[in-house]
Amino acid sequence: MLEYQIFFDYAPILLIGFWLTIKIVVCAIALGIPLGLFLALGRRSNFVIISFLSTSFIELFRNTPFIIQVFLFYYVLPFYGLRLSAEYIGVLALAAFGSAYFAEIIRAGIDAVPKGQLDSARAIGMTDWQAMRNVILPQTLSIVIPPLTNQTLTLIKESAILSTITVHELTMTGLMVQGETFRPFEVFIMVALLYWALNETIATIMRKFEQNTKKNRKAGSIGNSSTTLKKSTSIK
Amino acid sequence: MKFDISYTFDAIPRLLEGAFVTLQVAILGFTLSVLLATTITVARTSLNSKIFNSILAFYISFIRGTPILVQIFLVYYVLPVFGLNLGPFTAGIIAITLNSAAFVTEILRGGLASVPIGQFEAAKSLGISGYALWRKIILPQTFITSIPPLVNEFTMVLKATALLSMITVVELMRVSQQIYSANYHPVEVLSGTFVIYFLMCFVVSRSSVFLENRFIVKRAR
Repeated sequence: MLEYQIFFDYAPILLIGFWLTIKIVVCAIALGIPLGLFLALGRRSNFVIISFLSTSFIELFRNTPFIIQVFLFYYVLPFYGLRLSAEYIGVLALAAFGSAYFAEIIRAGIDAVPKGQLDSARAIGMTDWQAMRNVILPQTLSIVIPPLTNQTLTLIKESAILSTITVHELTMTGLMVQGETFRPFEVFIMVALLYWALNETIATIMRKFEQNTKKNRKAGSIGNSSTTLKKSTSIK
Repeated sequence: MKFDISYTFDAIPRLLEGAFVTLQVAILGFTLSVLLATTITVARTSLNSKIFNSILAFYISFIRGTPILVQIFLVYYVLPVFGLNLGPFTAGIIAITLNSAAFVTEILRGGLASVPIGQFEAAKSLGISGYALWRKIILPQTFITSIPPLVNEFTMVLKATALLSMITVVELMRVSQQIYSANYHPVEVLSGTFVIYFLMCFVVSRSSVFLENRFIVKRAR
């Protein structure tokens, strides 16, 4: 029933596609998180126009399927004279899609920081931007890391949709191999396993990282570091 | 080329037909997935068997770890290999159901955890067990606390149905592809599709508050 030979014959070509998937997702995250930060700050802005624009961007991208965003990018950019290869369009679409979700995550993180923190930062004479940069955002970091990880996993999964605009990533490669071999089961299982392995690896690493930061924060919150070190060793 | 909105308006009647199919697929798939997830939740709690739990953990991890597009291809291309020749519509519904059931199971687990253990004990002391326990006491409380994430999951399903266009289910996305491959005005047609999707998802996601108020349990304190 299963033809194991296919696993060996087509693994290299699938791995090439897999590598492109990773590259695309990394680029999309690198673009998407800064954009998301701007959108989150924009949504909280006092300027009505900026907050309206950011809010509508976020809501438009969160409430439509990713596939139609991809198609719109694919057809709209050339429509206005911007000709890019499918890979770049894919990165842009994925970054725009991701940034809407990143923005909401960062906004929730900012809201979770007690309001007194901003007030006291302003009271000691920091400007809004300084308070944001030095007081609020560092505290947000530990809150937003788990949802950001989740969103990263979502982006990896959504990147499969870029196969519809002929980006030669993992799913597209799988479809091509399927067309060559007519063995859909073996091919798609292999594709699914690669995605699964990537997602599980990232999830595990981030879980470890999270536990470490939690431990450090706990240790850091009681007195200075030397006493806490003594305390934690004596408790053990 | 200029953006000619008349192409959008011309496309709208057919797009709305497609939107109707999208809604049908989404509602059918979501209903089935909630039924499946409820069964799984009840079975998991009452069986409490290690084998069942590990199979379930495997299933949920697989569904959450792989793209839904690949799952759709798996169902659509693989079932015929085993002699099951399903149309794209059925295969699509199956894929959506299997995918969404994993997420709904996770949601219901959270909802179930918020039901106080005293509810089980009180029911037991009144001699209520089995079907009546779940149907009358536990599940209603589970579902009411799960309304916001369930509504969110429904919008996810609604968005996922767009992917069924890849396996030739003629829903909103496919209809718009058919239209613009005939008139060569993808930007205008897709803008219309974009707006329709946005309206559907936006209305659904905003209905969460309304539903919560409608079903909220008023308890004496």
